[in-house]
Amino acid sequence: MNAVSREPARDDQPYDPVFLNARREAWIIFGVWVACLAWSVPYCYLYGYPPSDEEFNPETFSTYMGVPSWVCWGILVPWLLSNVFTIWFCFFYMKDDDLGVANEGSDLAEEISEMEAEQKGANA
Amino acid sequence: MSDGLNITPVLAAGSNAALYTFLAYTLAVFGLAAMSNQLLKSKSFMSEYFLGSRSLGVWAFALTFAATSASGGSFTGFPSKIYSHGWTLALWIGSYMVVPICAMGLLGKRINQVARISGSITVPDVLRDRFHSAAFGILATLLIVFFMTFNLVAQFKAGATILTTLLSDVELYHNATASVNAMTADVPFLAAVDPGYLICLFAFGVAVIIYTTYGGFHAVVWTDVMQGVVMVIGVMIMLPLAIWQAGGMQHATEEMAKMTPPRIGTVTLQLSEPQQDSFVLQAQTWLKAPGEDQQKRLFRVAKNTSIPPGGTQVQEVDVVEITTPEEIARISGQLERDPVTDQLPVEYQLTEIDVSEFEYGAGKKGVYVVGPGPHKSNSNGFLPLSLAISFFFMWAISGAGQPSSMVRLMAFNSSTTLRRSIFTVTLYFSFIYFPLVVIFCCARILLPGMDSTTDRIMPEMAILLTKNVGMLWLAGLLVAAPFAAVMSTVDSFLLMISSAVVRDIYQRNINPKASEKTVKLLSYACTFVVGSGAMLGALNPPQYLQDIIVYTGGGLAACFLGPMVFTLYWPRANAPGVISGMLAGFVAHLSMYVAGIFMFEDFFQNVRPYQLFDFDPVVIGLFVSFIAVYVVTLMTPPPPAELVDRYFRKQ
Repeated sequence: MNAVSREPARDDQPYDPVFLNARREAWIIFGVWVACLAWSVPYCYLYGYPPSDEEFNPETFSTYMGVPSWVCWGILVPWLLSNVFTIWFCFFYMKDDDLGVANEGSDLAEEISEMEAEQKGANA
Repeated sequence: MSDGLNITPVLAAGSNAALYTFLAYTLAVFGLAAMSNQLLKSKSFMSEYFLGSRSLGVWAFALTFAATSASGGSFTGFPSKIYSHGWTLALWIGSYMVVPICAMGLLGKRINQVARISGSITVPDVLRDRFHSAAFGILATLLIVFFMTFNLVAQFKAGATILTTLLSDVELYHNATASVNAMTADVPFLAAVDPGYLICLFAFGVAVIIYTTYGGFHAVVWTDVMQGVVMVIGVMIMLPLAIWQAGGMQHATEEMAKMTPPRIGTVTLQLSEPQQDSFVLQAQTWLKAPGEDQQKRLFRVAKNTSIPPGGTQVQEVDVVEITTPEEIARISGQLERDPVTDQLPVEYQLTEIDVSEFEYGAGKKGVYVVGPGPHKSNSNGFLPLSLAISFFFMWAISGAGQPSSMVRLMAFNSSTTLRRSIFTVTLYFSFIYFPLVVIFCCARILLPGMDSTTDRIMPEMAILLTKNVGMLWLAGLLVAAPFAAVMSTVDSFLLMISSAVVRDIYQRNINPKASEKTVKLLSYACTFVVGSGAMLGALNPPQYLQDIIVYTGGGLAACFLGPMVFTLYWPRANAPGVISGMLAGFVAHLSMYVAGIFMFEDFFQNVRPYQLFDFDPVVIGLFVSFIAVYVVTLMTPPPPAELVDRYFRKQ
């Protein structure tokens, strides 16, 4: 498995745009995940986790359309907003990149040729 | 329907709907497998059998991704948790708002491109080719086989258990159970196995093994599509029925806000006179006992208990005691209005009442509508803050790290398909997960006192909801959803293990020159043998299977996500770095469980890993794995230029 040369990478050659697009899109997706985490968990904790010594009163418990308010604003609304974001991201932002043609069997062919080269070397 | 209480035994209808559903399913999947097998004849076998020739379009890709992600747990364990802990499950599942975009979008485009460049068919293929490292490929293969074999046995058990539940009222099933019992009574290794479970395991296992072996990846994908459609239709039918029958969402939440957790335990039933014939004290029968201040105590029987002829006493009857005064009054009133249903027909007394309070939430109102949710054994409640954060990692981030998801990301046909599929799965999950929270919150009102048999809540709700509107035939479709979910997970895992053995071990390491005929025979044989082995393993499965599923899911993410992210996105990444990251993730995640053995005396009764800084082991595993890849890579030489150029530079 030592057939690959250790020449330094060709810095003059530009990066593949599919790689660059995919990496940029991945960072944005990661950012959205962080934003959802940063909103949902603290909001739910602040408004949906009353202190254990606090007396709970069912009569004053706040709901919105039958859903507890903390669930509505902490989960349901961000869920709807993230769906809107997904629509924007999928249909207006994400690039339609050409993923290339699959080189079926090229990895195996490479291995076979390396194996044969090794055998020839051993025989020689 | 505002009263919303059903007190008839919901399964007494003896519906054959589940049996018909199972038979229809089996026929349909065999048909799809036959069609898939035709495709195998016209295309490159290996790529078609294990990867569907990278040709999946929007519907096939979206629904196979969704159905594989939504394992049996989505329709058994998740409803059970909602019923047990209430509205807190909305936060527990909250990260599903971004699961599709994270699990598909973080790696999707790039892993598909890299797999095309190298001609990779499996996940270990991608890792091996990217670094030109046989050692990395073998390590990845061994980890996949290790984790997935345990998981497959667990999923087979889950499938058989669900089928057992679904068929529990079918007469034909009871007759078959009696026959099998007679046949296996003298067979040493089968005598201890429940005959009903044995029948269901065999039926489920044979169906999955045959269609997966015969049809390969496309059979799995097409059955996933069918199963995915069944799941969403089931939920969409149940949602309005549940809200309506619970008297509206507002009413259901108000009732839940008044609820206090039940007490769970046993009672001794003392009959006033001996019964001439033996009879069965049915699960869900209500029992009453006098309480303090003229308030009745109300218990619901948890499971069927036989009373022999002439017997007057039954000891240790499993019961759930309702503790909410409003609920006791409501149910008592209903029982008095309709005294013939769901009550013992003879006079009785309850003695030796031995019931336990919940560790968190006992006697507290509101625990079902606010966090952290009631818990039987954990004094911190169901979902403390640190666990809520862990679950945001667990579903969205570790979901992206599952090899079974990654292999699907290698199978779509273009980036247009990826874009449209992310959108489709986003809508799909929105229509499933939040509605499930609503449906099974309503179940607390409609089916009170089922706290010790919550695993049955899904079929019980399906039958109750459809029976109340006179459409019991619909129950078959609804109860099919959990069965479909587990089936679609099992077939994917089965194919992954098979591909690891045939492609990653045999073809890549032992015989790269193997003929297509040899590879084909080996693939069929391997899928069949692995499936049969898992089925045999599930005959007498180890005890902690649900914990094994949790362990393997977290372990796979801890091992694969970090190395895969760096593999795809960091040109500087090298083989020593990613191998270190994979091993570090494995060790860090495993060590949390090993530490649990030493730190918790009751580890083997109630498996719980050590939670460093109160985080789930998967968070620790992911953190350690990412750091290890980064640090070791920088400490070791850069990767060969040829590999960087091939995978990162414009060709």
